Order: sequence, then structure tokens, then C-alpha cells
Amino acid sequence: MSSSDGHAHARHPYLAEHFETIEKQDHAVRLGMWLFLGTEVLLFAGLFLGYTVYRHFYHETFHEASRTLNLAMGATNTIVLITSSLSVALAYHAIKHGERKKCISLLVFTIVCACAFLVIKAFEYQHKFAEGALPGQFYHFKEVTGPGANLYFTIYFLSTGLHAFHVIVGMSVLIWVLRGVIKGKYGPDYYVPVELGGLYWHLVDLVWIFLFPLLYLI
Amino acid sequence: MASHTAPSEAERHAEHGAGRYFVVWAILLVFTGLTVLTGRQDLGAWNIWIAMAIASVKATLVVLFFMHMSEASGANRLVFLVSFVFMAVMMMGVFGDLWTRNEMTLPSAAPSTLGPEL
Repeated sequence: MSSSDGHAHARHPYLAEHFETIEKQDHAVRLGMWLFLGTEVLLFAGLFLGYTVYRHFYHETFHEASRTLNLAMGATNTIVLITSSLSVALAYHAIKHGERKKCISLLVFTIVCACAFLVIKAFEYQHKFAEGALPGQFYHFKEVTGPGANLYFTIYFLSTGLHAFHVIVGMSVLIWVLRGVIKGKYGPDYYVPVELGGLYWHLVDLVWIFLFPLLYLI
Repeated sequence: MASHTAPSEAERHAEHGAGRYFVVWAILLVFTGLTVLTGRQDLGAWNIWIAMAIASVKATLVVLFFMHMSEASGANRLVFLVSFVFMAVMMMGVFGDLWTRNEMTLPSAAPSTLGPEL
């Protein structure tokens, strides 16, 4: 397929050489993204499995330890993430309909939400550090002393830490997408990067939807 | 190629207003409130099942409407949903073990780490 006949109309500026049409490229790109998101689900599945096993072993302690987390901060963070999920979906909707300015402000709002999430999380961590609710051998929290208490906080820091790392990555991706939107690279005829950046952000929200009840409410 | 007959991904992304996203967002907030309300009540073994049921409904809404799974092509749906299937397989394998264990093999039956009482 090295000949260029059949390409009477101009090639799409973002169409890579090895794809025939932009539709085929978009299809491949979307499939790749969903595959990646599938591996992300499996990555967190390992942590969720660890949580369920140890919760089964140390049921009472896990219940007690979950009550020492700050529910108000956790619930606020849930609302922040759900709202940022809405704004990123709206940003995608805006760029698809050629509303570039609206898309920019929605993306900025999403990034601000991501920062707010991290700041609230940092306050929570700081509080846990001060109390001595630390993972493994560093645990010296006075309120919960039953067997498995340090395991709860090991899982708490591992899962929320990995999630916070995903928030940082998602935020970076959205900043990169925002840069492209500001430069005018995306519009109604090409918006796949905005869509995929948004998909990643929704995954971050998805993980938190499960982490929040498991850690704060059980 | 099937792409000649099947509608393209872009075409399948049906036109709908932004209002739909606000509706989903409002439902998600209601469910968040519900999970906080039920989560801190002592309902015994029901707590975890109620919390997980609410979380699953919320996750389904996010995947279907925010992530546009409802408009995605078959292959994309398949790869993402299969990851949940494998997660379930992993969980079931481990729980098959845990639920059939003898009480004595659980760590809670182990002697205190503080050593024997003298």
C-alpha cells in the first residue's frame, strides 16, 4: 500500500502514515486506550483483593480503624472527583461542538479539582502521620491496637497512594490536553486526545468510587 | 472489512445534549450521600453489600455515560469488561479458599504476638 492513489482528498493532518483513514486510526487508538484501562483495573484489583483478604482475617480491627479516618474529608474528595468527572465530560462535549473557550475553562476547572483533591488528601496524610497511624513496623497509633491494625493502614496508604499517583498522572495528561486545546490543535473534526485524556480521568474517579466506601465506611 | 457496513465510532457517538452529563452527576451525588448515610450505620454484614452495590451502580453510570461505553464499539466494550471478569475470577478463587477454611487456620486463632502468658 505504498502508492498514494485513492487519496484524492488531502490527508488528515493527524493521520499517521501507517493508517489508511482517520477512522481506522481513531478505532485503533480507542481500543489501545480501553486495553490500557483494563490493565489499570487489574492493577487495582490486586490491592482490592489484598484488602478483602485482610478484612476477612481482621474484621473487627478493620472496622475500628476505618472509623478513625476523616469521613468529612473523604466525602468531600468524592464530591470533588465526581464533579471533576462531570467537567471533563463537558469539556469533551464542548470541543466536539467546536466550543474551544468553554473547553479550556472546563479543563482548567478539572485540573483545579485535581489539585483540591491532592491538597485534601495531603491534610489527611499529615493527620495520620502525626497520630502514628503508619504502615507496618512504623505503626504506633494509640486508638486502634488490635491485630491487623497496621495492616489496615498499610493497605490504606498503598491504595490511596497509588490512587493519588494516578491523580497526578491524570492531571499531567489533562494539562497536556489543555495545551493542545489552547494551541487550537483540536476541534470538531479531531478531538480524540481530549476524549482519551478524559477517559483516564474517569478511571481515576472510578477507582475512588470503590476505595471511598471500602476504606471510610466499612 | 466490517468497517464498510458498520457505522463508524464517530457516527455511533450519537448526538445528545450536555444535560445528560448533569443528570448523571446529580445521580452520582445522591448515591454518594446514600452510601455515607448507610455506611456509618451498624447493619452488620449488610454494610459491605450495600456499599458495594451502591459503588457498582455509580461505577456503571460513570462507565456508561461519562466514559461513553454505551456508544463504544464492541471490541472496546469487550476488553474493558473482560478485565472485570478476570478480577471476579481472581476474587472467587481466593474466596473459595477463605470461606472453606477451618477456623483454626485463620490468623485470629493464632497465639498473641506478645508471646505466651507467664
